Amino acid sequence: MEAGKNQSLFKGKPIKILLAKPGIDGHDRGILVLAKAFRDAGMEVIYVGLLPTPEEVVDTAVNEDVDVIALSLLNGAHMTVFKKVADLMKGRNINDIAVVGGGTIPEGDKPKLEKMGISGNYGPGTPISKIVEHITERAAEMRKLKSMEE
Amino acid sequence: MILLKLDELIQGIIKGDRRSVSRAISIVENEQVSINAKKIIKEIFTHTGRAHIVGITGPPGIGKSTMIGNLAAMLSGSGRKVSVVAIDASSPFSGGSLLGNRIRMQESLTRHGVFMRSLANRGMKGGLSRSIWDTVKILDASGSDIIIVETVGAGQADLDVVNLAETIVMVLGPGLGDEIQAIKAGIMEIGSLFVINKMDLPGAFIAQKDIEETLAMSPKGEWKPPVVGVNSLTKEGYDDLIMEIDRHGKFVKKSSDIAFRKFRTELEITIDEELRNRFYKEIRAFLSDNEKIRILMEKRTDPYSAAENLINSIA
Amino acid sequence: MEKKDSYWSLKYRQLREQNHSPNSEYGEWADNTLTPWNRQTGFQEKEFTNSSNIPIKEVYNSKDIPENTEKHLLGLPGRYPFTRGIYPNMYRGRLWTMRMFSGFGTPEDTNKRLKYLIKHGESGLSIAFDMPTLYAYDCDNPRADGEIGKCGVNVSSLKDMEVIFKGIDLSKVSTSMTINAPAAILTAMYIAIGKKQGVPLDQLAGTVQADILKEYIAQKEWIYPPEAHLRLIRDMMVYCTENTPKWNYISISGYHIREAGSSAAQELAFTIADGFYYVEMGMKAGLDVDDFAPRLSFFFNSSINFFEEIAKLRAARRIWARVLKEKYGAKKDRTLLLRFHTQTSGYTLTWQQPLNNVIRTTIEALAAVLGGTQSLHTNSYDEAWALPSEEAVKIALRTQQIIAEETGVIDTADPLGGSYYVEWLTNKMEEEAFRYFDQIDRMGGILEAVKAGYLQKEIAATSYRRQMRLEEGKEIMVGVNKHKEEGEQPINILKISKKAQKNQLDRLNEVRGSRDEEQVRKALEELETAMRKEDVNTMPFILRAVEEYATLEEISNVGRKVFGSWKEPVIV
Repeated sequence: MEAGKNQSLFKGKPIKILLAKPGIDGHDRGILVLAKAFRDAGMEVIYVGLLPTPEEVVDTAVNEDVDVIALSLLNGAHMTVFKKVADLMKGRNINDIAVVGGGTIPEGDKPKLEKMGISGNYGPGTPISKIVEHITERAAEMRKLKSMEE
Repeated sequence: MILLKLDELIQGIIKGDRRSVSRAISIVENEQVSINAKKIIKEIFTHTGRAHIVGITGPPGIGKSTMIGNLAAMLSGSGRKVSVVAIDASSPFSGGSLLGNRIRMQESLTRHGVFMRSLANRGMKGGLSRSIWDTVKILDASGSDIIIVETVGAGQADLDVVNLAETIVMVLGPGLGDEIQAIKAGIMEIGSLFVINKMDLPGAFIAQKDIEETLAMSPKGEWKPPVVGVNSLTKEGYDDLIMEIDRHGKFVKKSSDIAFRKFRTELEITIDEELRNRFYKEIRAFLSDNEKIRILMEKRTDPYSAAENLINSIA
Repeated sequence: MEKKDSYWSLKYRQLREQNHSPNSEYGEWADNTLTPWNRQTGFQEKEFTNSSNIPIKEVYNSKDIPENTEKHLLGLPGRYPFTRGIYPNMYRGRLWTMRMFSGFGTPEDTNKRLKYLIKHGESGLSIAFDMPTLYAYDCDNPRADGEIGKCGVNVSSLKDMEVIFKGIDLSKVSTSMTINAPAAILTAMYIAIGKKQGVPLDQLAGTVQADILKEYIAQKEWIYPPEAHLRLIRDMMVYCTENTPKWNYISISGYHIREAGSSAAQELAFTIADGFYYVEMGMKAGLDVDDFAPRLSFFFNSSINFFEEIAKLRAARRIWARVLKEKYGAKKDRTLLLRFHTQTSGYTLTWQQPLNNVIRTTIEALAAVLGGTQSLHTNSYDEAWALPSEEAVKIALRTQQIIAEETGVIDTADPLGGSYYVEWLTNKMEEEAFRYFDQIDRMGGILEAVKAGYLQKEIAATSYRRQMRLEEGKEIMVGVNKHKEEGEQPINILKISKKAQKNQLDRLNEVRGSRDEEQVRKALEELETAMRKEDVNTMPFILRAVEEYATLEEISNVGRKVFGSWKEPVIV
């Protein structure tokens, strides 16, 4: 068997991302825009619709083997709900899927979310290009972790 | 935990570990088959052949997703291990895709522990069919009793599902009118059973009778495709649907003809893939050499001669 | 087989012809004056369009509007087709109602605030609910964790409503409740409190939003499939018509459609199409359109493209009057009047340079007034990141007062009537609306169109287009993509403590511990039987369950069992 890292696992493979609003929150304007924008940026986007539970989000992420989970909430419940997703990931020992967040998140909450492993945490009005850039970086980190010997 | 060793991954698949299964699918889901992908399939092959593979197809917007959600939940409720594969469209421009067909089945899937995976039809030049076959093999080896494959309802991938699945459930609905007439000719040979969804809507009963009549006129084989009406809101008719799927499953497993046909189709796909892959690098290199192509064009070389020359030079 | 043209497609074609008149004067001017000027000044051609993607010309003149516009399309204020306003003297006679609402964490806080308002002369109370209540989850459902009291007050059982209205005489106030999916249950709670206070039912006054169609289209707060909700709303309509004649059961809302990303024309078209559906539903239930339609009211958004908003509101009045008369056979003028509440746009507010929001809100409020609104809520400048502070609410209210008292815009009705541009744009908005009515009709009506996700897709496409234009700088938000201030950080959100959650959980436990479980079980069983029979009115059974202290979630779970739940169609 050839030695070295197998890059072909990811060669030409689009970033796979799960978009979810895991709370009781029907404001889907932003997430629908992001879904389209990510697709147009060449990503494979999975959107599970409204009101998924944190369990559903993590299950789906595992089954679909995504690179990134992107969470969004506009109802102020991010500290409770994002944390549930982070806790579930930790509980299942998953560390090769990145979690990024967004929504109406006050500055003061951001370091706490970072500590849970949730990065980005962009607010309304953030240019999409900036979000795409961040996701691309996080996905690359994950893919480095996942590279497998051939 | 990060899965780094192929042997562990293969053991994981056979034990039914979800993360191994889903990572393995990522490995086989590629335009070009990799050494790892081949190794996985070779090693798990002896563990396959047990699952009943059910294809669900029909025109877009007919309620296939909701139906699969219900079906998977009920099958799972009766103690069977169910897996779902959905093939989704992608954007022809960016190569990106939006896989939205989970929306209408998500809840019942999670609640019943059903494994579901979406495969993007990435406008690949090839490889999608092989990806689907390999994905189904992995799910089969992981101990699935039944594997449901959903398609977008059009295109080459659909035809491949017809070959891959042992039982084809053709979903139709009332109010399709002309559409039914147009597709009727082609679908009647394909379906192992027919489902009329949305039985609560006007026209459903007539649609059912219409299909039954057409079927009655078709040449009779050993299997007579039944027509089942269901209502996805009240779940009426689902018991019948499951019964018919199982009945057809038993019929298929008895028929060595079908197994033979399936194996031959898979061989054909794999040989095509192998051939394509054998020359993949050279063909890609050739096609990206603009200078060479321009010369051919200017010399007015016909494409057949150009292709023959290329293949002869590398074979 | 030749198919007869529908009312909608005929009207649409008429409007298209009406608005497509050649304008030779413009052409001559463009050739001989405009083009040389543009060349001389080196003007770079660029696109001028509004939210509805309608291209705007350099100038409009009399050739851009039909002859006899005044006679056929405008009339005078208080006269058909009411383009210029529904009252003859408009704001001279009566200013619009300045209605402000917001939500408060606990029923106790809400009670305190309502009493404060009553003490200061308010008699129109307005209540916003939190997310778990809007989706009919009790506060002890795991899904509600962290969301209690966040965007409004939490109600899990009649007990909470009793606290909200403690010491408030329901015969002396009118209450507006912004609630949709569980509207029948909240209405039943209100009735139950009225009964306990000994207030005759025909004196209970107020409004529930109960516009479920726009939930599927835009706000996405539903429990059951559309048909089930519509049936429950029908039951409530019939029950309230017979028992609580002062209770307004539907406020047809475009506000949320707009906030979900639609254009002004889409807001107009989809909202009014919803209205037509409710009219048809009432008529199908055997009600006379002249008895029933006057109780429908509307709720629009006022966004930042000034003239487009005014045109939208003027077109809305004309469309409603015409269609109710021509298609639904309304006879009384009262039935033809489209009355509406307006709220300034939340979407246009930015957390960057927050004081800019005061200016945005002022312009939007002015558009609503020039569009002839009957009541108005102005957003507070801090609402982009928080529930509004008292200071910000006060400025928002003062904005309305300045418009009313200082600017003179109230001196005459419809001051923009007859402006070439405004009239042309009003006609154009009307045409766009009929294009959608026709399209929806071809899809088998609005219910089918919504279930297929058609309207949702249209909105998503518009909102994506706008976002891309913002990204490319083709559209501007000051402080966001132009005239930015570096290093600006969003202001911290007002926090609601976990106390609200504990408070609610304690009360719910108390309710569960003290009620008669046998009676609760019986009431819920009877409700289930009623729900299973399409022709039985469920309202008395909901009331009974509420009075036995069955919780919000327990009651709606009966429906979840009978009707099932609903997942949206794939939109993107």
